[in-house]
Amino acid sequence: MQTRGPSIWERMLSIDRRILYLLLFANIVLFLLLPIRMRAAVSPPVQKFYDEIEKLQPGDLVMISSNWSASTLAENQPQLEAVIRHLMRKKAKFTLISVEAQSRDISYRLASRLTPEGGYEYGRDWAHFGFVTNLIVSIKGMVNNLPDTIKKDVRGTPVSELPLLKGITSLRQYKMIIDVTPSATVPFWISYAPKETKILYCPTSVMAAEAYTFLDSGQIKGMITGAKGAQEYEQLLGIVGLGTRFVNAISFSHVLIILFIFLGNLALFMNRRQMRQEG
Amino acid sequence: MWQIQNPNTPTGQLILWMIVLGAFIMIMGLVPLLHALPPRGRRAIIVIITFITGLFFATEFFLPINKEQKNFLTDAIQPAQQAVQVITALALGLGTYGLVRLHLRNVVQRRTQWGYSLVLLISFVVMATFSIANTLSEQGLVEKTPLLEQGFKLLFDYTLVQLDAAMFSLIAFYIFSAAYRAFRIRSVEAGILMFTAIVVMIGVVPLGATISPYLPGVANWILTSLNAPVQRAIEFGVGIGGLAMAIRLWLSLERGVT
Repeated sequence: MQTRGPSIWERMLSIDRRILYLLLFANIVLFLLLPIRMRAAVSPPVQKFYDEIEKLQPGDLVMISSNWSASTLAENQPQLEAVIRHLMRKKAKFTLISVEAQSRDISYRLASRLTPEGGYEYGRDWAHFGFVTNLIVSIKGMVNNLPDTIKKDVRGTPVSELPLLKGITSLRQYKMIIDVTPSATVPFWISYAPKETKILYCPTSVMAAEAYTFLDSGQIKGMITGAKGAQEYEQLLGIVGLGTRFVNAISFSHVLIILFIFLGNLALFMNRRQMRQEG
Repeated sequence: MWQIQNPNTPTGQLILWMIVLGAFIMIMGLVPLLHALPPRGRRAIIVIITFITGLFFATEFFLPINKEQKNFLTDAIQPAQQAVQVITALALGLGTYGLVRLHLRNVVQRRTQWGYSLVLLISFVVMATFSIANTLSEQGLVEKTPLLEQGFKLLFDYTLVQLDAAMFSLIAFYIFSAAYRAFRIRSVEAGILMFTAIVVMIGVVPLGATISPYLPGVANWILTSLNAPVQRAIEFGVGIGGLAMAIRLWLSLERGVT
């Protein structure tokens, strides 16, 4: 007796995963290289973020908590670059702090590369506090006595001797805290940072859903969600940065995933129908 | 708070070194002492220290504050923070010691897959050397030679960062494969979930606005009006669970803590 071979639906259901990987890879490479520019509808959290930074006055001090490492570079780097560029445009001064060694190196090197664009000088306009091992205790320490808590910056200069921090003794004197992170560190800033200091948030896309409660309550004043949020922000700033370059690949990867979910369900449905017909 | 007067003078430096040496000797002496204690004695020490430190942080947080936003415990936060730094540094040193010892033994005794251990040890030494030298050069303590600059760039920017990013990006491929195989509409609820997910996935990217100007608004409504209340409810539950767990840890009731 002759047995029939697998139907197209059965073959679709048992497709080799390497074919799927190859399709996604080709999709990402293609849309990273294609020079298509799609305008984004700026989401309310990104607009709020932008508006809050626009309210800063020249010389205002901002704390950037940069806690991302290379693993989330595709999402957090466009965010941090856009934020630093906007701060420089507003002539706001900033300090960076990290909670682990790799993020300290990455953020320091990134800021060192970007700041000459705005004519920013280390120590006068910006500084990096290095990395702290326990964020909660460090935030409480910085609120109480910032120079005693941080002691020295990444270059080994006592922070009390930095022209940027002349007369700064507490985190209370900062206008704003910006948390660029793939981790759940923003509740620590909300809980322990001074209530009068505004908090802005740059999470990765997967972390953003949890933050809408804080946006709703006003504990976070604005949010840039992942690389697509960075693209919206770059659009507001009128620049083409990493977010704009990455977003096409993200958009069309979403389309590809949706298409294949649909195809998977179609194959399942058709296969069942065929089996029913064959008894 | 007690501080060394003029720590940059020779006398101040001498006092600093004496303190560091004294602390080192004390810790080295404490290790065999703790090992000599019976398990119940060790457990009692850990329980007491955990309780006191937990009590300190909780009391400092909950006690009323004065006009200067302080209570009588607030000034002790700085030394506590420094103690945390010291403990973390010790833990890091201990971890490094354990890692090197294990892999060195693998190499010396030619255990199974000892080649990987050798690669780890070589990478560890090379990366640590360049990284420490780079940090010292940032502080102006050693000269930033072209070898150091290029070497660190090669190891950190072009190797570590790229490998780390590549590792994480693999998740996208697994998600794609898993979504194709596992996301099946078998019920009305699954259908609603899939429809919502598609609207959000397309609505939040620029393509959504290109397809329809209403899609981003709908996606934002789902995120703020449907997602946020549910997240809040989940976070309330997680918060209460976290509080219960924190109390258990503080009182050393959790198994495995000691």
